[in-house]
Amino acid sequence: MASAAPVITDVSYTDLLEDPYPVFKRVRDTAPAVFVAAANLTLVTRFDDIMSIERDPATYSSDNPASLVNKVMGPTFMRKDGAAHATGRKAIEPSFRPGTIKEHWAPKFTEICERLIGALREAGEADLFSALAAPMASLSLMEMIGFKAMPWQTLAEWSQSLIDGAGNYARDAEIDRKAMEAGAGIDAAIEAVLDHHRANPNPSILSSMVHADPPMPIEEMRANIKVIIGGGLNEPRDAILTLTLGLLENSAQKESVLARPELWPTAFEEAIRWISPIGMYPRRVTRPVDLAGVALPEGVQIGLCVGAANRDDRRFTEPDRFDMFRPKQSHLAFGAGAHFCAGTWVSRQTVGRIVVPMLFERLSNLRLRDDAPPVIRGWVFRGPVSLPVRWDA
Amino acid sequence: MPTIIFVAADGTTREVAAATDQSIMEVALGAGVPGIVAECNGAAACATCHCYFDPAYVGHIGEAGEHENEMLDFTASERTADSRLSCQVRIVAAMEGMTVRVPSAQ
Repeated sequence: MASAAPVITDVSYTDLLEDPYPVFKRVRDTAPAVFVAAANLTLVTRFDDIMSIERDPATYSSDNPASLVNKVMGPTFMRKDGAAHATGRKAIEPSFRPGTIKEHWAPKFTEICERLIGALREAGEADLFSALAAPMASLSLMEMIGFKAMPWQTLAEWSQSLIDGAGNYARDAEIDRKAMEAGAGIDAAIEAVLDHHRANPNPSILSSMVHADPPMPIEEMRANIKVIIGGGLNEPRDAILTLTLGLLENSAQKESVLARPELWPTAFEEAIRWISPIGMYPRRVTRPVDLAGVALPEGVQIGLCVGAANRDDRRFTEPDRFDMFRPKQSHLAFGAGAHFCAGTWVSRQTVGRIVVPMLFERLSNLRLRDDAPPVIRGWVFRGPVSLPVRWDA
Repeated sequence: MPTIIFVAADGTTREVAAATDQSIMEVALGAGVPGIVAECNGAAACATCHCYFDPAYVGHIGEAGEHENEMLDFTASERTADSRLSCQVRIVAAMEGMTVRVPSAQ
């Protein structure tokens, strides 16, 4: 008979933020689902369990009436199931097609990256978070959405405010206010370009939305653009930094990939397995169910910890190591099932084929600084928040 | 319930009786056919359910859509004229005895 999920109370939220992996391992070794008090959530951490959950959206729903995401952003397709999700997803598909990415977006993103790296080349040192990864992710997302040019900081602030608002379980009034302000800014930015996209079909996301059949209603466009801003900026930013860090800390692997550029895609996949930019996302249990021996009651919120599943030693040997030469195995960094990351191919192209290769190619003898070590934070979203480096200018 | 014959990269075969309201990918996963990953579970977004289909059945298999067609350029194993994403191919009764070859990598 299935038993109730065990409870862990002696872990703090700070433990999760600073280094979730020991907690993930403990949860993984305890049971298929464990209530972690600090997270106020039942966490699922084993690879096979998450895979089977994502194949059963009727039991494990993305839809949640109480979701803060919907409160902050509106009716987004990230929090829908079945046909309602598929319609929205299909509408934006043309902007994310591999061919469109290669032919249309890649040249634009290459140009942005050349400009950013060109500007910092002579300095000889920089924090790659603010000097490269954040502006790169912001400026390319801006182009892809189809916004008018704006400072990269604006879109980055909107993104952070939305994320903070969606995670504001304590209902802090200031966080709410900033999220609403970001939402209003985004609505205005959409309004400013909508007529242009209506009159001039192009590969941008807003254009795909207005030209979809049927066209996406304006309130859904607003909500979905907010999800894309909240969820499309951190991940490429963090993946750029994580891949760079993995290679800088493992010089033999770095030499291999520099000597054999065809290995870049492999290095990229290993980086996002090692430190997955999205570490956890929620699902809601719609009926009493037995998850591999743990009884989950109807209505319970579970957190699928893909960051933990990607270090599940049942699947990956020495999972804590960055090792691009490990046997090829699919990972869960892009999720699984109907909500599989729409940005998968654009991130593979941008991070793994444009930005990080160009960084190592143009900044010679790129290296970490002993006096300023990298700082990595987060568990729901995780990545380096500071990556100070030097190179030979 | 037509019988679909899955052939693994090493040549081993597996016959599966398939319900007609399913995709080839769903049939393969349901029967535990190895070699089909299907990360996105049918959204044509991951290109990890790539298979080679018997051209004799092309009339029943149909043509790849625009999105799938682009996705097929990014499969881990070589794309051929017989390549399709198995999540986009629906089972029909006339597929009785059809061979589906599973590639060595997804």
